[in-house]
Amino acid sequence: MKKLLLVASLAFAMPAMQACANDQGPTDMQIAHIAYTAGQIDIRYAGIALKKSKNQEILDFAILMQRDHKAVNDSALALLDKLGATPEDNPTSQSLLAQADAKAAELEALSGAEFDRAYAENELAYHRFVNDTVENAFIPAADNPEFKALLGLALKTFQAHEAHAEMMVEAVK
Amino acid sequence: MNRRQLLTLSLLAAGAACAPSIAAAEEHIVEMNGLEFSPAELVIRVGDTVTWVNLDVMAHTTTSADGSWDSGSMTKGDEWSFTFDDAGVFAYDCTFHPTMRGMVVVE
Repeated sequence: MKKLLLVASLAFAMPAMQACANDQGPTDMQIAHIAYTAGQIDIRYAGIALKKSKNQEILDFAILMQRDHKAVNDSALALLDKLGATPEDNPTSQSLLAQADAKAAELEALSGAEFDRAYAENELAYHRFVNDTVENAFIPAADNPEFKALLGLALKTFQAHEAHAEMMVEAVK
Repeated sequence: MNRRQLLTLSLLAAGAACAPSIAAAEEHIVEMNGLEFSPAELVIRVGDTVTWVNLDVMAHTTTSADGSWDSGSMTKGDEWSFTFDDAGVFAYDCTFHPTMRGMVVVE
């Protein structure tokens, strides 16, 4: 059932992101808002893990998520500040936040090994989903070269997280 | 110049001429950039020093698999150096990002 819920939530969010990315082509400021929001969501998940888990591997990963996503988001804000630009809220960001509320509630209801497994699986699925979107929708659509480069670095970071999450899923099976 | 000074000078000159040639220790740079060590593999000589420089926005470490060194957390712009006094093959990684791996071969 958990796996079904995960697939269902991703299936709900993916079309929203791709619609924004494909139909009219997202602006850089919409992409920036979505990417920033996605990072903040993972920081939130990490906060839940730090509160609930006693597994050292999960705790280390959660600390890493907080540190890396904050670093990437801070870089994005610094770049936007330099460009004199403001991220633009959009339906995709709102959809992601609504999904995150549901997922956070689901995680909060779990404990022990069950929580660890759910957190690890969600991190793997979430990073796969975000990476696919950043690589195939956001980077091709981004106009500003510096912003595109930052998205490239973010993608490499999140791909490393995805590989790390795969190890974590195996470790807490 | 007296004879003693001449003798000293000639001994110094002879010593310099006979001194074995010793290769100077070298400095090497490894960049942490885009979640990769670059170069990922480095071949150096005993006595050389490697300096890791973090160019990424996120923190990294350089940590040897055998416990020879551990930089601890390095944030953007930080540098950390280690001098290799022994020959060997040293694998290392970033403890924060296990997919970041490197190797130093000391000849």
